[in-house]
Amino acid sequence: MFDFTVVTNWIDALLLSFLPGWAATLVECVLVALAIITLYAVFAIILIYMERKICAFFQCRLGPNRVGKWGSIQVLADVLKMLTKEIIDMKNVDRLLHKMAPFLVIVASMLTFACLPWNKGAEVLDFNIGIFFFLAAGSIGVVGILLAGWSSNNKYALIGAMRSGAQIISYEVSIGLVMLTMIVLTGTMSFSEICQQQADLGWNIFRGHVPAVLAFIIYLIAGNAECNRGPFDMPEAESELTAGYHVEYSGMHFGFYYLAEYLNLFICAGIASTIFLGGWAPFHVLGLDGFNHVMDYIPGAVWMIGKTFFVVFLLMWIRWTFPRLRIDQLLALEWKYLMPMSLVLLVLMAVCVSLGLTL
Amino acid sequence: MSNNNYFSGLFSGIKSLLVGLGVTMKEFFTRKITEQYPENRKELKMFDRFRGRLVMPHNENNEHKCIGCGLCQMACPNGSITVTTEMLDTEDGKKKRSLVKYEYDLGCCMFCELCITACPQGAIEFCTDFENAVFDRAKLVQQLNKPGSKVAEKKVAPKPEAAPAEKKESNPETPTTV
Amino acid sequence: MTLDNIKTLEPSQLRAEMQGLKAKGFDYLSNLIGMDWGEEGGLGVVYCVENTATHEQAWLKTATTDRQQPVLPTVSDLWDIANIYEREAYDFYGIIFAGHPDMRRIFLREDWVGYPMRKDDKPEEQNPLRMDNEPLADDTTQYELQADGTVTTKKNVVFGPEDYVVNIGPQHPSTHGVLHFRVALDGEIIRKIDPVLGYIHRGVEKLNESYTYPQTLALTDRLDYLAAMQSRHALCMCIEKAMEIEVSERVQVVRTILDELQRIDSHILFFSCLCQDMGATTAFLYGFRDREKILDIFEETCGGRLIINYNTIGGLMADIHPNFQKRVKEFIPYMRKNIKEYHALFTGNVIFQNRSKGIGPLTKEQAVSFGCTGGTGRAAGWANDVRKNHPYAAYDKVDFNQVLRESGDSFDRYMIRLDEILESLNIIEQLIDNIPEGSYKEKTKPIIKVPEGTYYQAVESSRGEFGVFLESKGDKSPYRLHYRSTGLPLVAAMDTACKGFKIADLVTIGGTMDYIVPDIDR
Repeated sequence: MFDFTVVTNWIDALLLSFLPGWAATLVECVLVALAIITLYAVFAIILIYMERKICAFFQCRLGPNRVGKWGSIQVLADVLKMLTKEIIDMKNVDRLLHKMAPFLVIVASMLTFACLPWNKGAEVLDFNIGIFFFLAAGSIGVVGILLAGWSSNNKYALIGAMRSGAQIISYEVSIGLVMLTMIVLTGTMSFSEICQQQADLGWNIFRGHVPAVLAFIIYLIAGNAECNRGPFDMPEAESELTAGYHVEYSGMHFGFYYLAEYLNLFICAGIASTIFLGGWAPFHVLGLDGFNHVMDYIPGAVWMIGKTFFVVFLLMWIRWTFPRLRIDQLLALEWKYLMPMSLVLLVLMAVCVSLGLTL
Repeated sequence: MSNNNYFSGLFSGIKSLLVGLGVTMKEFFTRKITEQYPENRKELKMFDRFRGRLVMPHNENNEHKCIGCGLCQMACPNGSITVTTEMLDTEDGKKKRSLVKYEYDLGCCMFCELCITACPQGAIEFCTDFENAVFDRAKLVQQLNKPGSKVAEKKVAPKPEAAPAEKKESNPETPTTV
Repeated sequence: MTLDNIKTLEPSQLRAEMQGLKAKGFDYLSNLIGMDWGEEGGLGVVYCVENTATHEQAWLKTATTDRQQPVLPTVSDLWDIANIYEREAYDFYGIIFAGHPDMRRIFLREDWVGYPMRKDDKPEEQNPLRMDNEPLADDTTQYELQADGTVTTKKNVVFGPEDYVVNIGPQHPSTHGVLHFRVALDGEIIRKIDPVLGYIHRGVEKLNESYTYPQTLALTDRLDYLAAMQSRHALCMCIEKAMEIEVSERVQVVRTILDELQRIDSHILFFSCLCQDMGATTAFLYGFRDREKILDIFEETCGGRLIINYNTIGGLMADIHPNFQKRVKEFIPYMRKNIKEYHALFTGNVIFQNRSKGIGPLTKEQAVSFGCTGGTGRAAGWANDVRKNHPYAAYDKVDFNQVLRESGDSFDRYMIRLDEILESLNIIEQLIDNIPEGSYKEKTKPIIKVPEGTYYQAVESSRGEFGVFLESKGDKSPYRLHYRSTGLPLVAAMDTACKGFKIADLVTIGGTMDYIVPDIDR
């Protein structure tokens, strides 16, 4: 497997050859930040295009097909449109909070984005409590949503934000428990180690068999809810609350919410592929050495991104099939079904691991 | 809620969701129904009864059938037709009404077909042209009789006299002035 | 039907008579029509009550010659729907209903001057185009007639200062048009709904008084655009009966087929919009995919898709298109197949079931009292199908079931519509191969004048009983042409149906009630 640290070490050595240590670190930080922001934007564009096309295909339509071949630069045109739109200043809003809220959302989304392990040795934020950090950083987003609802001075926005708060806080319980289940299996919270382990021992979803598969399903449901996507798009609930918490935003401020929504989807899928489907670890079948060898030639980043998009497709499939839940049903689903089940899974996984029943 | 209900409800619920996912996945691969409009312009033909906008057909000699009786104008609920006529002296000394201008405001037409039903000459009809968008509302007011056109003489020569006469018998209160 | 036996009552006798009728089982107030009979006849009201068991109708009228302060007794305590109907009569004629708890205008702005449907009113002179926002009062006036003949007023509160009022509409994705609900919330729970109507009030009934009869037809398509065929059918039938024109068998059958196609069209759109409202956007487009087939059939034969413009006095605008039968026969199995897809994708879905079962129920008594005809009433078990109760066109020659359900909740209202699609397909199947030969249009005089008299004709439109009430003085324009709106009772019942449910349920309930705003506002 190609180790990306070769590249990073080479850049590091190159910079240190003519810069003092602190300056080299600074330049590296800037480079990494640029890379992250570029990736963020590129993935956002791909995801939005993908969502529009997939949604159209589920609905017997063709989707965007006017700008560029098969509508391929439709999203770029949308971004340009969004950038040129006026950001409207409203009279009775809490100015500071109103303007700050979208940035909180985007910052939280970028922080979690930085947690994804792209390849062996290509992790941006990687330390021993990586999963913990991911959960913590992800929770900042809900503050942005609540602030948006509160500062907009709009009843729809307020109801949307309150729903969102209740929803995200509830579903974080399940996400946390499911991740805990997988931590019991892997014994580490560091994303790089989790991936390395899966490259050596096989994907977690196979190693953990029954509890891991169930945990994967619960993660998909809860993750979908965390991203405020259908059938859990209560905070936005177009047909009830018009646009929910971001109803009073225009131009790029709205764009940030839009961007963050899609990236959160990607991050949610990315984490699912990291902790369940092996991250950058290639697909190996025990005993088929020739096959495994061929798989190893496919770069880790391709595996990672491929798996992530597979999960994204699953989530989109769900999104475009089901009607929306009602807020009380949504909370009932979490507290009456998902949370007890994830607790049982945690115990089951602990039993499996302690009795050595994992594969 | 008893345990039995909890689990049976859960499983039947999951089954219903899977059935739904199956339906959408099937549609994912079926042929799409989108019609790509400007591209299919050649094949795109409206049904012949489609009411696009009002036209007054002219023959190859630039002649139409309108005698300027104004019945269409009276039939129109919205006042979207304005017929301007003048009185001309014919060779045999009689006065005869003739059409000067037939103005039709597409902007306030509601395609009820009453004008066409009212026309005793069959001089106007709806065409199937549907690309009626313009950038200026004033352009929606169209003159239907072409410049320099006149009433077709030969075929409908007896009719201009016969038709209004018939009208007068059946409904005396029809105003004859426009 | 010619109404030559309308019973005339003095205002003082009205309440006793009405109470007597109600006790005799006349529990459905189908019409309450404001009238202006001029200086001698006075301002008055025509009532139509129907016995839901025997389908017998009773027509009554009452009037007062006082044009300054016309006061009539209210019947809003006997029939819930009278509440809204009397507000309409107040709005248009200025008739004050003593004892009515909520005498506000309903369609016109609250600062409107005059009563436009009075024959001596000049609405243009007193009401310039106002550029300011419409005031919406939070309280309302109740008038009481005292024993000595004086009228006292008292204030009733609609929304108090402690109410958290959210405006749903007039621009809102799930109100299906420019409908405005003022909703008092307690958290997410609905405490009260006050519908504010009239955003697209076009004064159709007022316009009709200056239109010739053929011209009035053009406006029926613009009432309930998903029941254009049936509304126009009703008006044509009403005028034909008044003028004693017999239309041919062929016309009867074609009208029946097209009415049923229109019903399917409407119910498919109902399904689509409900899915859309509940967040299942994909099912929405499946509905539209299928509706396209019906619209193509309409367009080929009638020349229009939404504004169909096909029925005319004495028959049809044109004979059916040669392809008509072929296309309809292709459509029947296609639709039967796709209904199964709807059920698999949406009806069975556990999320939808949980969101609709037991949500917003209307009991049979409530449905009758509010006059919620059509699928909404039948979901509550009220057999109100005009096609069965007062057959017209070819409905007495075909065999079909009146679909009824029990509980009257959102799920039943939804299922009724999907089952009715199948029933309509059955009706069409029975008729499509047996369209009799005959002329498609009877000859009528160029100027149509309806003989003096009062006429009423009801049809089963896509969402309930659509009635045409026509009073003629023998002119070429109607003296009064009133349409019984199918959607107005449904909107009136929203408060009852939604109270205590969540704001998300408002969308479900509104969606399954299936109202169409142009039909409400007229």
